[in-house]
Amino acid sequence: MKKTITLLAVFQLFFLCLIAQSNLPPVDKSPMDMSYYPNSYPVLKIQDKITDPLVARVVYSRPQKTGRAIFGGLVKYGEVWRMGANEATEIEFFKNVHIDGKKISRGRYTLYAVVNETSWTIIVNKETDTWGSFKYNAKKDVIRTEVPVQKSDVMLESLAMAFEKTTTGCNLVIAWDNVKVALPINF
Amino acid sequence: MRILVSSLIILLLSACDNKSGQEKTTGQETGKRDTIAITNPENNINPYVQVDVSPMDMSYYPADYPKLKMAKSTNAPPLARVIYSRPHLQGRQLFHDVLKYGEPWRLGANEATELDFYTNTRIQDKNIKAGRYILYCIPEADKWTIVLNSNIDSWGLEPDPSKDIARFVVPVKQTNNLLEFFTIVFQQAAGNAELVMAWGHVEARLPLSF
Repeated sequence: MKKTITLLAVFQLFFLCLIAQSNLPPVDKSPMDMSYYPNSYPVLKIQDKITDPLVARVVYSRPQKTGRAIFGGLVKYGEVWRMGANEATEIEFFKNVHIDGKKISRGRYTLYAVVNETSWTIIVNKETDTWGSFKYNAKKDVIRTEVPVQKSDVMLESLAMAFEKTTTGCNLVIAWDNVKVALPINF
Repeated sequence: MRILVSSLIILLLSACDNKSGQEKTTGQETGKRDTIAITNPENNINPYVQVDVSPMDMSYYPADYPKLKMAKSTNAPPLARVIYSRPHLQGRQLFHDVLKYGEPWRLGANEATELDFYTNTRIQDKNIKAGRYILYCIPEADKWTIVLNSNIDSWGLEPDPSKDIARFVVPVKQTNNLLEFFTIVFQQAAGNAELVMAWGHVEARLPLSF
């Protein structure tokens, strides 16, 4: 009898160990985030304060500097960078827009960048729902456009993306470490 | 025999210790990371966008679709995707300090939780057209009402029931594990899929067929 109880206890322990290994995903090291243009569109929407129609949304993951040299270090100059982490960085246009004179039809796209010391080449690519830039396919590029690098006053621990209003539309500002670039989007 | 049994127990206990130890470390690490963001705001000065206390996350069906696509092990388009933010308990009790039975809950945090169907989908007895929806829920002790709503690109705080598309009642299961971060994933189930929503000691599953 004692033996049976002990054996039962053993099996129970074994079973507990099994369920302790949850198959649900842990929290990402580089948390995801999203930004809309117009800024804070979702909040404005529930407050009935929308004045301008929805134009764009970016969904990206936010790696952190954690003491590392970022540009020219972690992000190598001249190579395609996924401009994020984990799932590929996604930009969605809710209406047709123009980037660098080229019409971009409404829809979802993936964003990449080739980073250099004084300029970045921003890439808008058609291959959506993919992971990082590991299988980046230049044949699916919609546009490549070069933007100058600006030094920012603050040191950013986490990669950040936000839209800023301009006279001809908006800029997608991409900033990390002590560097920022602005991608002009016209509509 | 007794020696065998005792050594088995010791072996299993140590195995169990290792696993739970590892899990704890992971939990502490994630918790720590988040706490840093909250308690040391000087580490998180970001004039563009602050890092959220409840980080956003994304799940696809088929699970890990972006990785499958990258590995070229699928040519088919994805079937579904959810984008949600992950509040965490931080010592609070889920159905005491955070949520109330019978009151709508946004199933996430910040931006409304978004469910994208890339193809027409059948949920319980209803046909749901491919497209983008938001999700919220009305939790009860033994069942959750999961609501599919069309007020997309909105903020989760105030769901607008006039834009409800469909409501589905699903049972709630109690879990042994305490899940610190709210979690939504798709899992394969009997030829179909389930949208699994879990937090604290509860788990609800919404069956989907594509």
